[in-house]
Amino acid sequence: MKEHWSDRLQRFDRRWIFLVMGLAVVVPLFFPLGLPAKPDRMTKAAFNAVDALPEGARVFVSIDLDPASTPEIEPFFRAVILQLKRKNAKLVFATTWYQAPPLVDRYMRETIEVAIAPAGTAGYSGLNDRPYRKNVDYVNLGFRDGKGAIIQAFGSSLRLAFDNHADDGTALERIPMMRGLEKLADFDLIVLVSAGSPGAKEYVQFVGTRERLPMIAACTAVSTTDLAPYFQTGQLIGLVGGMAGSAGYETLVGKPGAGTAGADVLNIGNIVVILAIVFGNVVYFAGRYHRRQRGAS
Amino acid sequence: MTELPFVDVVGFWVATFLTFCCLSFLYKDNPFYKLAEHLFIGVSVGYLIILQWGDNLQPKLVDALFVRGYRALAEGGSLDRWWVMRGIALVLVVMLFVNALSRRYKWVGRYPVAFVVAFYAGLQINAVAQSELGEQIKFSASTIDAPKVDLNSAPLDQLTSLPGGSPSIAEKLIVERARAPFTSVDDAVTRPSLTAPERADLAETRGHLVGLDARAAVGPGEHDRFGIVSNLLLLLGLLSSLVYFYFSVAHQGVIGKVSRFGVWTLMIGFGASFGLTVQGRISLAIGRAYDVSGRTVGPTDAARIHSLPVAVVCLLLVVGGIVVWELRNRRRSGKDSA
Repeated sequence: MKEHWSDRLQRFDRRWIFLVMGLAVVVPLFFPLGLPAKPDRMTKAAFNAVDALPEGARVFVSIDLDPASTPEIEPFFRAVILQLKRKNAKLVFATTWYQAPPLVDRYMRETIEVAIAPAGTAGYSGLNDRPYRKNVDYVNLGFRDGKGAIIQAFGSSLRLAFDNHADDGTALERIPMMRGLEKLADFDLIVLVSAGSPGAKEYVQFVGTRERLPMIAACTAVSTTDLAPYFQTGQLIGLVGGMAGSAGYETLVGKPGAGTAGADVLNIGNIVVILAIVFGNVVYFAGRYHRRQRGAS
Repeated sequence: MTELPFVDVVGFWVATFLTFCCLSFLYKDNPFYKLAEHLFIGVSVGYLIILQWGDNLQPKLVDALFVRGYRALAEGGSLDRWWVMRGIALVLVVMLFVNALSRRYKWVGRYPVAFVVAFYAGLQINAVAQSELGEQIKFSASTIDAPKVDLNSAPLDQLTSLPGGSPSIAEKLIVERARAPFTSVDDAVTRPSLTAPERADLAETRGHLVGLDARAAVGPGEHDRFGIVSNLLLLLGLLSSLVYFYFSVAHQGVIGKVSRFGVWTLMIGFGASFGLTVQGRISLAIGRAYDVSGRTVGPTDAARIHSLPVAVVCLLLVVGGIVVWELRNRRRSGKDSA
């Protein structure tokens, strides 16, 4: 008996889907579609929270990520740092992820100590930023292990949590901008660049809710559904989810970058996944219908 | 910006090669994938050991306990409470190792484990009760009414949270309404102090179902009907999901139907999670494609990395290697069967 087409396709080699997905990711890199990246409500709220900061505001930035999550969150980080530098915000950095310190060092070199959008930047019409000076405009406190417990310690005393030293060994009392910054509640805003645990969830649980801290977070797409309830309740005043969220944030800041270009590719990747799901279901239901018909006859 | 050091250029080449090694697993398990896997585990463990030594063991144990403790005693001083606490921590760590070294005194190792479990349970219970139970229940138990934001009297934060709103638009609306109260939403979004992009932002979010018109009004007492439906749906979804997890009664009749609705609600939630997980995985692929094509560095560094030729060479190396490996396997299996 001749084999039904659905039976043949049931044995379809899944590696063809990998190949199509690979092409869907690589081809748009060379032939971009330029699809618009529209910010959602949560992303816009995060942007508004930073936008509402006064000139020279004091902001704590927790960079809790690893290399795997950089495509999703790094574009947000670069965009929000540009927005904060345009406001001459005083920045204090820390991380609770052991994979993060090399990335943090790179970010300091590439985004903090140099101007992200100096005068004459092509395709950028917003305010220019300036290079920040270490321990004058920004302080990197470095890495501390301890998961939720250390985040709780940030809430009561940064000096105790970091043994009274910045990452470069400078005593915190010798850094003028650290005057009056004893704990998280002393900051005007807390920006959480969070790829998982410990991260935004732990900040909300251990200090944010108790101290009513103004916090915005950027997270991987996977974590968005976990953190969105915190946005609904106001425990997070803004949330940027995944690469799509980062692209939206770049649009709001006015400097499209890797997030916007990546979102273009992401749209095509999503279409491939949707088509693969539809294809799989058509094959499955057609096969089931055929088997029933054959059984009936 | 400073030029990329040569060691980082080599790092990019190695990363490109290892990316193709990892991707080769999509074909099947092979020596290139194994190489990348073992290298990753080795590097991770090595990095973690050095980091733990430099960040915890050396400063908090060796230096604080022995070096500073010895110095304090040598200078005739006394040991402070931090020294005692660190000493207790060291004793707990030693007790943990007894667990692995002696069968007879294995019970000693239970105490540090009990300490850690109790410590984190204490921290977690309080934190979760406040942030998850307290706040989430408070939000879920709020009124299902959804009043519209009155443009003529709402405070700054409410105006900012409107669709298309921003702090600067909200401030301008407050100034404008003081000059002359708004007569309609149209009037509010076309006031002269708003810039053209701000007007465009607001115009883009207009809509009577979920947009600006649904959420804003120019007088008190108006309600967002879709918002009320949305709140009602949230309440029903929450209650039915809780019913699904209530196992003290049989899920039959009305309870069965409510529980079924709860399952649908949960499935919609899981579907959203799955969709976002897929997005996250595609983003990973995009990130690697960007790195391999040299788009994560500036044009000068990209020229030094020669990303595309390097990517082609690495791809050929991996593909060629797998072909040789497959041929050898076939020859070997041919010999075995002969």
